[in-house]
Amino acid sequence: MFHVAHRFFRQRSLVEDAAQEVFLKAFTQLGSYEGRGSMEGWLTRIATNICLNILRASKRRPELTTADLTEDQDRWLDEKLSSAAGELHHSAENKMVAADLADRLLETLSPEDRLALTLIDGEDASVSEVAEMTGWSESKVKVRAFRARKKAREAMEKLLGRMGH
Amino acid sequence: MKDKHIIDILEKGPWASLTESEVRTITAHTEICAACRSAFEAARVSTLLVKERAAETMEPSPFFQTRVLAALRERQAKNNLPVFARLWKSAGMLVSSMALTTAALAAFTFLAPAAGTGTSQNTVTDLSPYSAEAVVFNQDQSDEQLTDDQVLTAIYADNEVK
Repeated sequence: MFHVAHRFFRQRSLVEDAAQEVFLKAFTQLGSYEGRGSMEGWLTRIATNICLNILRASKRRPELTTADLTEDQDRWLDEKLSSAAGELHHSAENKMVAADLADRLLETLSPEDRLALTLIDGEDASVSEVAEMTGWSESKVKVRAFRARKKAREAMEKLLGRMGH
Repeated sequence: MKDKHIIDILEKGPWASLTESEVRTITAHTEICAACRSAFEAARVSTLLVKERAAETMEPSPFFQTRVLAALRERQAKNNLPVFARLWKSAGMLVSSMALTTAALAAFTFLAPAAGTGTSQNTVTDLSPYSAEAVVFNQDQSDEQLTDDQVLTAIYADNEVK
C-alpha cells in the first residue's frame, strides 16, 4: 500500500496519510471482498482509487517553468541533454534531483494521465496490468498513456526551449 | 522514410518498446529535422525522469503501524457509540438550532404583548389631565376636584378636535 501511495506522492506525510486511509477503508469494507481476485489486487485498487481521489481534490496543475527550477535541476537537464545515452543516474543526490524534477513534470498532468504514464513508462507495467489495477478498460489505459506521454513531452519541450536548448 | 516526422512513433508506446528499425528511423530523421530533434530530446528526458521517479522507493516509518492501529481503534470506537449518541452527533446542531428558535418565538409571544400594554397606558397618561379620556381612565380624580372652567375647557377642546 505504501508503494502504491508513493507512486502518487513524494512527501512522506502525504504517503502515510494515504496509506492509512487505504488500511482503514479496506478494514471497513472487508465484507465486500468476494475473493474472486487476489487480496493484493483488491487492496491495490482501493489504494489507487483513494490516491486518485486525493489528487483530484487538490486540483493542482502548475505549469513547468524555468523560473521554478532549482540550480541542481537545471544542471541535471543540461547534463542529460549533453549525454547521448539515456542511462539512469546512480548517485543518490542525482536520483533525488531527477525525482524532484519528475514530480514537477508529473504535476502538470491530470491524476489519471499521471498514473498511466508512471505505471507504463516508469514501471514497465503492461496495459492489461494497469487495467486490472485501476478498473479501467484497456483502451482507456492506452489513450491515457498516449495523452500523458504527449503532454509530458510537450511540457518538457517547452521548458527546454525556454532554457535555450 | 527519412522525411516522415517521427513524433507519432515517440508517442505511440513506451520508450522501451521501440523496435530497432524505429530507433534507426528516429535517429536518421532527427539529423535532418530540427523540430523532431527537439521533440525527441524532450521525450527522451521526460521518459528518463519518469523512470527515475518510479525507481525511487520509500519505506514506512517505524511508527506507521502504531498510527494505523490507533486510527482504526478510534474509528471503531466511533462506530460503537449508542444509536442516540451517533444521532446526536450528526443532528445535534439542527436540534439545538430548532430549540433556540422555539425559545425565541416563545419569548416574543409572551413578552411582546406586555410591552404593548405599557405603551398604551403611557399614551393615556400623556394626555391632557382634563381631556375626556383622562377623566374616564383616571379613576383617582373625582369630579369634585375639577372646577367648572376646567370641565368646559376639556369639553370644548374635544369638540374642536372632532
